[in-house]
Amino acid sequence: MTKFSWRKAALVAAVVPMMALSACSSTGGKPAETGNAAGAGQAASTPRIKVALITHAAAGDTFWDIVRKGAEEAAAKDNVELLYTSDPEAGRQAQLIQQAIDQKVDGIAVTLAKPEALKDTLKKATDAGIPVVSLNAGEDVSAQMGAFTHFGSNEKLAGEAVGTRLAAENFKHPICVIQEQGHVGLEARCAGVKAKVPGTEILYVDGKDMTSVQSTATAKLQASKDADVIIGLGAPFTLTLLKSVTDAGSSAKVASFDLNADLAQKIVDGAVLFTVDQQPWLQGYSSVDAIWQNKRGGFKIGGGQSVLTGPSIVDKSNAANVLKFAQQGIR
Amino acid sequence: MNANEINQQTLLQNEKDPLTHTAVHLLALEGVAKHYGNIIALSDVTMAVDNGRVTCVLGDNGAGKSTLIKIIAGLHQHDAGVLKVMGEERKFNSPRDALDVGIATVYQDLAVVPLMPIWRNFFLGSELTSGFGPFKSMDVEKMKDITLKELAAMGIDLRDVEQPIGQLSGGERQCVAIARAVYFGAKVLILDEPTAALGVKQSGVVLRYILQARDRGLGVIFITHNPHHAFPVGDRFLLLKRGKSIGYYDKKDITLDELTAQMAGGAELAELAHELEQLGGHGDLIKEVQSEVAGVAQTTGKTYE
Amino acid sequence: MTITQTKTPSAAADDRLAKRGPFQKLLGRPEIGALVGAIVLFVFFALVSPTFTQPNAFATVLYGSSTIGIMAVGVSLLMIGGEFDLSAGVAVISSALTASLFSWYFTTNVWVGVVLALVVSLSIGFINGWILVKTKLPSFIVTLATFLMLTGLNLGLTRLIGGGVSSPSISNMDGFKSAQAVFASSVNIGGVEVKITVFIWFALVAVATWVLMRTRVGNWIFAVGGDANAARAVGVPVKATKIGLFMAVGFCAWILGMHNLFAFDAVQSGEGVGNEFLYIIAAVIGGCLLTGGYGSAIGGAIGAFIFGMANKGIVYAQWNPDWFKFFLGLMLLLATIVNLIVKRRAELK
Repeated sequence: MTKFSWRKAALVAAVVPMMALSACSSTGGKPAETGNAAGAGQAASTPRIKVALITHAAAGDTFWDIVRKGAEEAAAKDNVELLYTSDPEAGRQAQLIQQAIDQKVDGIAVTLAKPEALKDTLKKATDAGIPVVSLNAGEDVSAQMGAFTHFGSNEKLAGEAVGTRLAAENFKHPICVIQEQGHVGLEARCAGVKAKVPGTEILYVDGKDMTSVQSTATAKLQASKDADVIIGLGAPFTLTLLKSVTDAGSSAKVASFDLNADLAQKIVDGAVLFTVDQQPWLQGYSSVDAIWQNKRGGFKIGGGQSVLTGPSIVDKSNAANVLKFAQQGIR
Repeated sequence: MNANEINQQTLLQNEKDPLTHTAVHLLALEGVAKHYGNIIALSDVTMAVDNGRVTCVLGDNGAGKSTLIKIIAGLHQHDAGVLKVMGEERKFNSPRDALDVGIATVYQDLAVVPLMPIWRNFFLGSELTSGFGPFKSMDVEKMKDITLKELAAMGIDLRDVEQPIGQLSGGERQCVAIARAVYFGAKVLILDEPTAALGVKQSGVVLRYILQARDRGLGVIFITHNPHHAFPVGDRFLLLKRGKSIGYYDKKDITLDELTAQMAGGAELAELAHELEQLGGHGDLIKEVQSEVAGVAQTTGKTYE
Repeated sequence: MTITQTKTPSAAADDRLAKRGPFQKLLGRPEIGALVGAIVLFVFFALVSPTFTQPNAFATVLYGSSTIGIMAVGVSLLMIGGEFDLSAGVAVISSALTASLFSWYFTTNVWVGVVLALVVSLSIGFINGWILVKTKLPSFIVTLATFLMLTGLNLGLTRLIGGGVSSPSISNMDGFKSAQAVFASSVNIGGVEVKITVFIWFALVAVATWVLMRTRVGNWIFAVGGDANAARAVGVPVKATKIGLFMAVGFCAWILGMHNLFAFDAVQSGEGVGNEFLYIIAAVIGGCLLTGGYGSAIGGAIGAFIFGMANKGIVYAQWNPDWFKFFLGLMLLLATIVNLIVKRRAELK
């Protein structure tokens, strides 16, 4: 056996990357210029304030990216320093709120997925004179928690919107695919669909393993030959469901909740019937802006009620329009 | 007691055995010492190992036996004295060095993997391969054959070398370990307390294997704390106590009783008798101990009070 | 000088060793319990659901099994070698992300990213093994730490380079089509589309079995897992073997990662978490001892197959989805118990 030569290894280690980089792709890849649409205008001349946005986002969730983008754009416009933190576990989310109070922020925007756990800490915030708004989840408890308004879309309402649309188009046997068993929001959506289309079936898949999502959905479509539409509760999952439909040789159509650029394209192409967009960008943007408004002149938007940001149905008729915004990552 | 200690220089002078006609010992230690910091583990140890001879190293716990083994096996280096292999002075840097000159050690835990079949254990680390490339294929049939043959030569006839070695009895496992060392060309075989965990019958079996190895021409170092096991198979006896050599005898110069007495430690027994008396121990127990002391005194020719 | 032949021990040995017929030998193999469990489960689902036995349904079951099975091969070998790898789940996604982000950012041919991902995956394996042998900490701890680090890296680097939580699409880049053909296509067998991962899985199992049973390295793997000290004492390179095993897991992670990338294009950076336990479960159901030194790659494959059958079978049987996880756990428990019973029977005989 020839002795391992460090010199040879170093040579290989130096040359190979150089050769690799020369193998460039003629299409695709990182765009050469990334224009920042948000950076066009000037920031407001009001004093700089700190706003904390604390959500229950689990790491790696596309949806919250869009919320965050909206918040960041509002922050840039309003001369706000945005402090974004999240934790899916309610106890820890409460601790993040406490930390924001400790940092003496000028406003808190929070999602109320598990309001009981956050109640006490939010009281401390309002007692300290920090204005609070809520977004995305907890519409019915928002006022109790001390928030002066709520920006969001009701998951059950969204589900019912889908259900209504499907019923109108004569679908009788939808399959609602939930990627995280026990997730309140997802369960509410499917419950909404089922309220309007009683023949709806729920399928649980492992959202942490896309291959498993694909094979489980395929299995379901093979087993339920009379399923006529399959619904994904997240853009990436819907895209995978398209594959499952092909694999199973099923004639089922595909519908969705939430949006991303690829999904918008698929709607334009007609592969996906429609999606329900709760316009998460608006939720982020409005929360930050509402606090800025409150600081500017004591304004409280909403009149004590929630401000709805959805549901907004995106189908073939308006997908082309939406597509270009989706490609910017704001829809 | 009229046991004369061995004079290493003239040890082989009158040897008529053709195997030991060489002028040098297979392995010789002269005045070897080892200390760990302040603790002197071994001091001034002299012994020799030759073909077809069994050298027994005796001593109670803490006597320095394991330190001695580790030095010979290459796990540690001696700090003073000389270690010679075939007359050449050596200091081992690693167990590999010792293995390369033909010193094989069978440790108490045997270095066998219980779940693996006998033939895999036999060839572990020295598998026979055929073919080429980084993942040469093993010659399984050949290895099984050789294992069967070698074990048979040592007196074990197993029809199935595929069974896990853990299913063999302790004595049989010792045999496989010994057979392995013999097969792979060991010239010196060190057996570290092979009978310590075995019953009477099994110990007898292992002693038989030691003789087999000796008869195949190896030089055997047999470490034990049991003089009754050592005496039947040993040619030379090295007694260690607290790191020092308290005796180095040839078989023809010593009897089993003398050996036992040397090891028993008459002084300790006398002390025990006194202690028992002071604690108000049972009369008959004290008498027993006292008669032991007297017995030892008689054989060693010393007095203990 | 004569060699004395002692006859007494040999006679005694013969008495104690009753001859084991070939059937007995078969029962003693590590994977036999798992095989029985698999057959029982197959028959059960075949009876409960008419769809289950249809060829394309079975192809789906095989696909589901193969994505666990590919990793189970590496994890089984590692378990036989006496170690665990808790970072195996996220390592798959790390590999996919590396290929995707690198190719996208530097606008290179996708195959460059693929090769780089292989280097990275093998390096992660090397690092796991190297830390293990240097610190002598339990592999559980070492790989738990790398699991956490990789999870964070997956998320952080994806956001930093790609700008979001999923890697950008690379389907329009050079080399994508050919890479997709290698890693994520399907083969038509008698009218049924069988995904290529199934064949890759079978190939890996075959190679792993050959290495384990017929090469020196395989002997070392058994020894290192059974008793590392004994192995070291007879000159087996224990450290190199362990590091090599971790790198084997890394290789499997690369293959599965590439499949993930070219099947789904955009890789979700939060994925992979939790799958490491499925791989370990597959290995254990397949007869690999948790403490090491015993098992087989075929066993791991059967374990993955049992998992795939249970997972998909429940869907084919149209059972209430709320109870899905409960049924899955119950199936696995029963399969393991069958495995254990068969094994004990075999040993008693």
